[in-house]
Amino acid sequence: MEDYPEELRTPPVSLVSIVGCPELHPSISAALSSQQPPMNTLALPDFSKASILARSGKARDPLAPPQAPAGILKKDWLLKHRTRVPAAVAALFRADQVSGDPAQWLQACSDLENLKSAIQGKNTKLVVVLVQAQASDELSEDVTVALRKRAEIDSRHMIVLVEQDETEWSRSLSKLKNVFAELCSAFYKEEGRRIKARIEKRNFSSVELSIRYCFKVAVYAEFRRDWPEALKFYEEGVRVLREMIGTSTRLPPTQRLVEIKAVAEQFHFKISTLLLHAGKVVEAILWFRKHIRSYERVVGTPEVAFLHWEWFSRQFLVFGELIETSAATVPDTLSPRFGTADNALTEWEFQPAYYYQLAATYLREKRYAIECSSSVANLTTEASGIPESVMPSVYVGQYVRLFEQGDTVSVLPLSDTEYTSYALSEAERFQDSYEIIALFRKAYESFQSLGATRMASACSRGMAIEYYAAGDFSNAKQLFDGVAGLYRQEGWTTLLWENLGYLRECSRKLNFLKDFISYSLEMAALPLFSGSGEENRENKIKSGPGGSPTISRRENIQQEVINVLKRKQAPDGTNDEFDNAMEETTHLDIDQISPLRMVLTASVAFHDQSVKPGSPLLISVSLLSHLPSPVVVDQLEVQFNQSDCNFVIHSAQEDSPPLDSNLHDQVVEATSLTLFTNKWMRLTREIKSGQSGKLECLSVKATINKHLVICCHAESPASMEDFPLWKFEDHVETLPTKDNVLAFSGQKLIQVEEPDAQVDLVLNSAGSALVGEIFIVPVTILSKGHAVHSGELKINLVDAKGGGLLMSPREAEESESHDVELLGVSTVDGKELKEEVDSIRKIQYSFGVVSVPTLSEGDSWSCKLEIKWHRAKSVMLYVSLGYSLGSTEEEALHRLNVHRSLQIEGQIPLLVTHQLLRPFRREPLLLSEIRSLGGDDKKCSLAMNESNMFIVNARNCTEVPLRLHSMTIEPDDDGKQLCSVQQVSGISNGHAVIAPSEEYKGIFSVNPRASSSNFHLGDICLNWSRDSSLGEDQETHVIMKQRLPEEIKYSLVDSQNFVFSGAHNHAAFILPKSEHTVSHKLVPLGSGSQQLPRITVTSVRYSAALTPSTSAATVFIYPSEPKFNLETSCSTSDECVS
Amino acid sequence: MIVCVAVVGHQNNPLYLQSFTEADDALKLHHIVHCSLDVIDERVNNPKRSAPTLNETFLGLLYPTENYKVYGYLTNTKVKFIMVTTDLDVKDADARNFFRKFHAAYVDAVSNPFHVPGKKIASRSFGVRVSTIVKSFGSGTTG
Repeated sequence: MEDYPEELRTPPVSLVSIVGCPELHPSISAALSSQQPPMNTLALPDFSKASILARSGKARDPLAPPQAPAGILKKDWLLKHRTRVPAAVAALFRADQVSGDPAQWLQACSDLENLKSAIQGKNTKLVVVLVQAQASDELSEDVTVALRKRAEIDSRHMIVLVEQDETEWSRSLSKLKNVFAELCSAFYKEEGRRIKARIEKRNFSSVELSIRYCFKVAVYAEFRRDWPEALKFYEEGVRVLREMIGTSTRLPPTQRLVEIKAVAEQFHFKISTLLLHAGKVVEAILWFRKHIRSYERVVGTPEVAFLHWEWFSRQFLVFGELIETSAATVPDTLSPRFGTADNALTEWEFQPAYYYQLAATYLREKRYAIECSSSVANLTTEASGIPESVMPSVYVGQYVRLFEQGDTVSVLPLSDTEYTSYALSEAERFQDSYEIIALFRKAYESFQSLGATRMASACSRGMAIEYYAAGDFSNAKQLFDGVAGLYRQEGWTTLLWENLGYLRECSRKLNFLKDFISYSLEMAALPLFSGSGEENRENKIKSGPGGSPTISRRENIQQEVINVLKRKQAPDGTNDEFDNAMEETTHLDIDQISPLRMVLTASVAFHDQSVKPGSPLLISVSLLSHLPSPVVVDQLEVQFNQSDCNFVIHSAQEDSPPLDSNLHDQVVEATSLTLFTNKWMRLTREIKSGQSGKLECLSVKATINKHLVICCHAESPASMEDFPLWKFEDHVETLPTKDNVLAFSGQKLIQVEEPDAQVDLVLNSAGSALVGEIFIVPVTILSKGHAVHSGELKINLVDAKGGGLLMSPREAEESESHDVELLGVSTVDGKELKEEVDSIRKIQYSFGVVSVPTLSEGDSWSCKLEIKWHRAKSVMLYVSLGYSLGSTEEEALHRLNVHRSLQIEGQIPLLVTHQLLRPFRREPLLLSEIRSLGGDDKKCSLAMNESNMFIVNARNCTEVPLRLHSMTIEPDDDGKQLCSVQQVSGISNGHAVIAPSEEYKGIFSVNPRASSSNFHLGDICLNWSRDSSLGEDQETHVIMKQRLPEEIKYSLVDSQNFVFSGAHNHAAFILPKSEHTVSHKLVPLGSGSQQLPRITVTSVRYSAALTPSTSAATVFIYPSEPKFNLETSCSTSDECVS
Repeated sequence: MIVCVAVVGHQNNPLYLQSFTEADDALKLHHIVHCSLDVIDERVNNPKRSAPTLNETFLGLLYPTENYKVYGYLTNTKVKFIMVTTDLDVKDADARNFFRKFHAAYVDAVSNPFHVPGKKIASRSFGVRVSTIVKSFGSGTTG
């Protein structure tokens, strides 16, 4: 658009001229141009310059026959009307010039005459302006009338400007402006009417004039701001112009076409501008469509096709720019159903990018056309050369040759041949590539922002092709790379093929061997788009440097890669390509998202899920290639995360021994490693599993032609993805392994288990633990085949019933309230192990960690766990030994673990019960207070100041004999004051041994000294130890609880061995689910195992009787110590559920 | 004259693309069809489109480019049909009619039990049928 002349680009502005009084010109001009609509001023300082207003052209002889016009539009006509042909002229005179001196008056008159003669023959209006200093300087009526008569003007056109007074000045100036506006309008209307009359009367000799008249009428209408009329005549002009193509014979055909198009361009530009400025976007687009349709096929001869394409491209560019500058948006009134009968337009036609893209496309067309024309021209017109001094003629779109002969310069028309070679030489001077790239870039950015990625890609591709054509391969490669991604993603293989073809050539030109190989291989592995079986026709596609996508072309490309690789091996290295990459081996890395997965895919599956270390395991390696020709693999290297497991498979045809296999690798020979297209090559190998832990196959490296190493990331068959692009192909898919299960669930990693620990961990326990004692659990570590390094013993105590923590929730706050507590670990082995500096020794209530010293094979180590039970509870003791086989860092990573567990019961050692024997009642039976209010109801009353017998029974509940060291009653403060307690019978010889399920009785005499309804006697304190062990004495605190005697129902049969007190028969009522205790005092009469008096409980309601078994009613009576007051008491409890 | 017809799948991948020109602009047609997917995306995802048009399968003229016009059609299973023609004046009814016939042919082709959904259509009889439909386009046999 910038190429167009200014007068064409901007709407025409009326022109007026002012002559004389140059000092006032600036202010008048400024006032006129700030007018709405503005006016341009042609300011002439004095009247001598008025001659330029005179008609410059030669006076035409009105009688001469009308000449055929030499062109359609004169180039400078519009400019002339905008700068040199004023619609009105104002002659400025100062008041003193016309009123005073007669000489001055005469001068003024002659100036006026000159001006009049200059504008004679035109419609230009004359205005006379008198400039006064003051409004009061009244000019005489005579002068003004005389002046007006001289000028032959209306009195309205005689204006007085008052210079000094501000308000008067602006008032008179606005009057001048109004007069000018009126005159301009009249002038342009008159001019327009004059020309229009010619059109209407068809008063013209040629069609060129008709178009010219249309143009003029339209321009005059534009001067008047009569847009509809302007539009009408422009459109009329275009119509006539289009018809002219076939009919005109004035110029040789090529030049005629050029001229017509140049004029059409101006017309079209005017129309588009008018429509867009009026906000008629839809009309403008429809008009543009029409314009394009009328001219798209008017290409002309092939030699000048480039002219057409250049012109055609410019139409799009200019319209795009117009749309962009007018910021056209889709009107709301338009139906949103684009592209249908409701709304013929499409979304993109409102986007400048759409036009830029097409402009670029057509400009590229021009480039091709020039290439064609140039080659033809070089062959044929070498001799004729390019005509000199060709220049644009005065007519739009015409060229002439200047011909100098002596002093005379004449203008000669050109022949079409001359013109063609001239145009070609001009066109060849331009670098279209950069313009095309710029246009595509503009379109690309715009489409990208619109979210039209595919369209943007197409623009990107356009840029890339231009860069490629211009030899800028690195830019081209970068752009092509970006575009290829989209095509890969959406599976447009034909487009991808073309793209890769360019990329391949770019890499070749840039000497990028690796890229060249990877692009070539990708191309070779592409699935071809074959339409419905009509392969032949479809594949004739011309696809840039890649050639057409056919199977044979794919095979060729693959062969090319092989050749490139082979030539590298050639000793003389004759090929000029890729010479600097000679030494290296090319590595291609193919991961799961690489487009090269089509070229080679490795699927690796272990046949098992887990394996013992060191044992053999089977692995299947399957390779698949979509390359069209068979691929011979020299060597296949399978790599694992444990490098010891790596192995290499060599093709048997390979003569030379492998050089680069490292020592760890296992080398296997295979007969042939050839990959056929779309067929899995399946290899199953047995390997030795490595260390414990995860064994994962990382990659499979295939060496092809010695210098190409393709490293494929191993994929598990279970999680293998579809092949890109090939997944859309309708072809048979095969499985990577023959075993279907493996093909769907095989994994590329396997768990290698830990080796079996060869260390024994022994937990010994001496039966049940007793509450209160420190229970010792010896732990022995016995090495049977492994040395133990940095061993660690973890001890855990867990509630056997579950629940984990070894404390009851309500006691959780108190740290000492753990039911079972790990007190410590002592290492006893006769020899005390010296404390290691870094030994770990953390002991908590239920958890402990102890470090184990380094043990060599066959050694043993033991320690003792000290555990204390606070409550009878069953506990699981877990002990685990973790160790490593060596002290090095690597070995330290692999730790072996041995676990042992042991359930330990906690038992209550002694069951303590007590009894009170009161002296015989000596008072008459009286009602006594049995229940005290508010006090503990489980209490018995004692006789005051009498000796009450208090018997404490300690029964051994365990299976081991216990040694009782002492039994005392420790009265508390209350008890001390109120009563005295004396031990009647004690423990002889320092201790008493109680066999399992035996009882020990301690007898105390309690003598209350004061009367109290509620007092606490004290605590029974037992000091005991295991009879066999050397453990420390323990104390057991038992709190005595007093209770009230209750009635029971029973019948008791006499026994000969006992005398007993109490009733033989009694009845009692027992509440449901309650316990009832029947107490009798028995005095044995003999020692040894004795039958107790038999008790029979009868439920009256059900007439059911319960008799305890004989064994339950048998007690062993020890021979009594030679003491008088030994008594045995036994209580029998029976339950009866009513 | 119809120069190209295409079936485009869910991932915007070509399932069928056949051009009917003797000239070697087949690649250009591939590009045109590919670019037209942008317009389809725009039309289908445009919330401005009023509700009654949502059920409309015929998408109309997608865009004019160079001397081609591209028409689109979206099936109820979101498979896209694209037709490229060089005719200057295409009647809406003709285009609709063409697509209706083409849709029927497509349905028959993918109903083949040996056809795997989402794969390219390789059926020869489909190709033949499409050629027939293309040849009859605009020849006045609407109905």
